[in-house]
Amino acid sequence: MTWADRTIPDSKRLRYRSGPVPQPIVLELLNHAVWAPNHGLREPWRFIFVDNGKGDALGKAQEPAPAYLVVAMKEEANPYKRHEDFAAVCCLVQNFRLLAWERQLGVRATRPEWTDDPLRRRSFGIRETESIAFVLEMGFVDPPPPESASSAAAPAPAGLAFELF
Amino acid sequence: MDLATIITERRSIRRFNSRSVSQELVTELLAQAVRLYGQGESPRVRFVYAGTPEARERLVDGMTSSMRENKLMRWVPGKMIELFKSRFTAIPGHLIVVAEAGSDRSGGEASVAAACGIMQIFQLLGWEQGLGMLWDTERIIQNEVFFKQIGIRDHEVFVGILHIGYFDKAPRGRSRTPAEKKWTVYEGREAKTV
Repeated sequence: MTWADRTIPDSKRLRYRSGPVPQPIVLELLNHAVWAPNHGLREPWRFIFVDNGKGDALGKAQEPAPAYLVVAMKEEANPYKRHEDFAAVCCLVQNFRLLAWERQLGVRATRPEWTDDPLRRRSFGIRETESIAFVLEMGFVDPPPPESASSAAAPAPAGLAFELF
Repeated sequence: MDLATIITERRSIRRFNSRSVSQELVTELLAQAVRLYGQGESPRVRFVYAGTPEARERLVDGMTSSMRENKLMRWVPGKMIELFKSRFTAIPGHLIVVAEAGSDRSGGEASVAAACGIMQIFQLLGWEQGLGMLWDTERIIQNEVFFKQIGIRDHEVFVGILHIGYFDKAPRGRSRTPAEKKWTVYEGREAKTV
């Protein structure tokens, strides 16, 4: 089965196995994911890895997961540049989610409100010129048994909003 | 092709050949991209496609007339604009992507994120089929004249245009900074930057 035929589970229903997410695997996946298109090769991203082996790394701020990846983004003052940079970070996260799923590493991309809190920002070493674009919840998952693959799948998109110009 | 290879070998394509792109293929790949995005709820994203010669010409006309709205463009010779026009009209397909602005704290960034994720998957699926694309973020066309022409509604934001076509040669890649150089491990209260 190729990557394009895979059934991507609804990320809200991911059930992580306990057990760590090794940093070398995350780095290996990221080194492919950074080939995301990004305007002017600005590579406007930075990563903060959070191991949640003890289960309390982020308190109640996030759903429990074996590890998190905080994706920080450079905040450009120019709105067009800022839009391009945000798009680039979204592409990187998308690459990462697809690549991770090839290894049965489930990833849920979240954009929680606590990331605006100055104290929390400081605790992650977020600079004045940066924001937290995404917090990725990560953990390995069991492969769905073949017969239940379709029930675990994300609901089929309700029609494509496609129009002709 | 293996996913990591597609991701690392994909390039932005600026020079397309004249082979036409079937609209069925575009809708099929888009539907597949939306399915692979799979983040739960249906993404609030809309696609508008210009693939016929007539639609392409109308779109490029709109792009150039919105360019003329820009003060800086008054100094650009008409010949340059004509060159731009013929270059873009020759591209087989243009996919406009629009997201619902919504009322979340960041003015629809969640739907912009979904739109970008889907566009990236669509680019990867296309690359596997030999289709090249250019994600256009040209700021000179981003004005009310153009938005009105492509039918952007009040509660919507323009995400970008993908120019689509087959190509003869892919440009060389520009290497990326290794993730290790942009990597920090959170250690309780304070993150240490490596």
